[in-house]
Amino acid sequence: MSKLLEVTDLRTHFFTRDGVVKAVDGVSFSLDYGQTLAIVGESGSGKSVTAMSIMGLIPDPPGKIVEGDILFKGDSMLAMEPAEVRKLRGDRIAMIFQDPMTSLNPVYRVGHQIGESLRIHRGMTKREAFDRAVELLDLVGIPNPRERAKDYPHQFSGGMRQRAMIAMALSCDPDILIADEPTTALDVTIQAQILELMIELQDRTGTAIIMITHDLGVVADMADDVMVMYAGKPVEFGTADEVFYKPLHPYTWGLLDSLPRHDVSEKGTLEPIQGQPPSLIRVPRGCSFHPRCPYARVKCVKEVPELVPVEGGHASGCHFSVDPSFRKGEAAVCREVV
Amino acid sequence: MTPEHLNWDHDKDPDMIPLDAGGHPSRQSESGDHITASAGHIDVGEISTSSRTLWGDAWYRLRRNKLALVALVWIVFMILLAVTADLWVPQTLGDPIVLPQDTAAAKLLPPSADHPFGTDKLGREIVSRIIYGARVSLSVGVLAVSISLVIGLIFGGLAAYYGGLWDTLIMRTADVFFAFPYVLFAITLIAVLGPSYRNVFIAIGILGWPSIARVFRSSILSVKENEYVDAARAVGASDLRIMFRHILPNSIAPIVVYTTMSIGSAILSEAALSFLGMGVQPPTPSWGGMLSDARAFLFSAPHMMLFPGIAILTTVLAFVLMGDGLRDALDVKMKD
Repeated sequence: MSKLLEVTDLRTHFFTRDGVVKAVDGVSFSLDYGQTLAIVGESGSGKSVTAMSIMGLIPDPPGKIVEGDILFKGDSMLAMEPAEVRKLRGDRIAMIFQDPMTSLNPVYRVGHQIGESLRIHRGMTKREAFDRAVELLDLVGIPNPRERAKDYPHQFSGGMRQRAMIAMALSCDPDILIADEPTTALDVTIQAQILELMIELQDRTGTAIIMITHDLGVVADMADDVMVMYAGKPVEFGTADEVFYKPLHPYTWGLLDSLPRHDVSEKGTLEPIQGQPPSLIRVPRGCSFHPRCPYARVKCVKEVPELVPVEGGHASGCHFSVDPSFRKGEAAVCREVV
Repeated sequence: MTPEHLNWDHDKDPDMIPLDAGGHPSRQSESGDHITASAGHIDVGEISTSSRTLWGDAWYRLRRNKLALVALVWIVFMILLAVTADLWVPQTLGDPIVLPQDTAAAKLLPPSADHPFGTDKLGREIVSRIIYGARVSLSVGVLAVSISLVIGLIFGGLAAYYGGLWDTLIMRTADVFFAFPYVLFAITLIAVLGPSYRNVFIAIGILGWPSIARVFRSSILSVKENEYVDAARAVGASDLRIMFRHILPNSIAPIVVYTTMSIGSAILSEAALSFLGMGVQPPTPSWGGMLSDARAFLFSAPHMMLFPGIAILTTVLAFVLMGDGLRDALDVKMKD
């Protein structure tokens, strides 16, 4: 049987006046029912564009998927008619957006908006959709759901709006839920509640989740697999445990070192990754991370590293990851600084 | 925050009653059972379920704006006068067009009990002429703006929706319209069409569309960038559904505001054109025409100038203030 979702060598480029922005440049992964994949990276690493490509929501022009394929249950979404993709969207593949404050339409009642995809995809009447929306609001933990469904978004707090967004995304029992930084705009206590809610709902419905985030804490809580992206390319792929406890790529080391940890003494300083993410129009030659990498060698400037499996499914896009002494030696040194 | 909030009396506020060990409002509180009981009723849902509609919300805020309310009352008053004029004005106040039998004795009389606003150079009642002038002014205002609206919404919508060549073509045409001096353009148009009631509102309407198109276009473009449009796309809504259900309702507020103000300026334009003799032709009374008539009697009969002037001023001001009030009331971003 074919996988639920299979992305092979996806390349999404934006053709702008200043040049071609290679926002996503060779991303592959697959996803099965009940699985959670986390896509991690800094701003501008191509995480969101990957999600938008799967949703078929890349604005064209200027964006275009120039290569690769997205298979949903074995069918290529890129070969489908726009109307067919639209039928999947919201029904089989749903999305939660980053900013709950702006992702609800201010002129409609919350219940009406949650019911929108039910009216579109299930042909429900307004009343049926509203009743279902009330159930969904109850499911995501909004007290007094029948009353609150009649509220307008401005009467909801940020956390409640994100719950409403989750209710909206789950309304048609999607196979895949794409969450684009669902907790970034929320404060920490609410973040934890929202993540908990998502985990709970996943247990109940078996939905596969693609979690896009720059917050490694979120990843640790939820993900089965982790893909670390840098400058449009995946640089490391593995299970959450592998990426957290045996990270291979210097960029992942950097990400982990810039994370506050409570198991390390408080005197330790955080080590930010030096420099800025590169412009995606002029990606550095060779390994795109080399200008910021403390271990860069001449080879890194000359050759583009491939994402190759190192141990089992754990893959890294660094020339030196295959060398155990590189990992054990320099990585250990690096980690001790923390 | 209102001063009441700042000077609240802690002892009387039910939220300030000390809790007992169980987390319930203390019965020992000196405020007594009455307040304790009401405090027990409060729960989060009850406080925030006053769910108003968007327009109900706007009306609530408009109602608190005294200036806009006065403007609204004035506009409604003028509309009532204009609509009902035929029923009572000629019979009680005097005919606005037909000359009195003894013109020489009746002309240029100052305001008095018999002639509330005085009479004009032909002995007609100025008060009647002002009421009938309101018909012309208000109807030209509304009709002209309707024309601007239809053209402006279509072109503004097309420019925003299709972008690219359409956008350039439409917006550059609008720029060409803006480049001409307004009154001069209107006079030229009317010179071609011929001065009449109909041609005045057509001319003003045609000249008004570029601003409406601009406002509408920019409003759509800014709404389009909102995340809820992406969200609607993500639930599988079609382009048409997104346009009409998600983008239009959110871009309509600035149009409502702008339309209200435009009626004011259309009334002003009509008055200006009538003043120049390019508008409604005599003997039909119009405020601008009355002002024009009054020029010769500026010092001998200043009331001829005064009352039409006040009518124009108050009506235009009312529409502008009303538009101001609507802008404050409809601004979604102003909500807490």
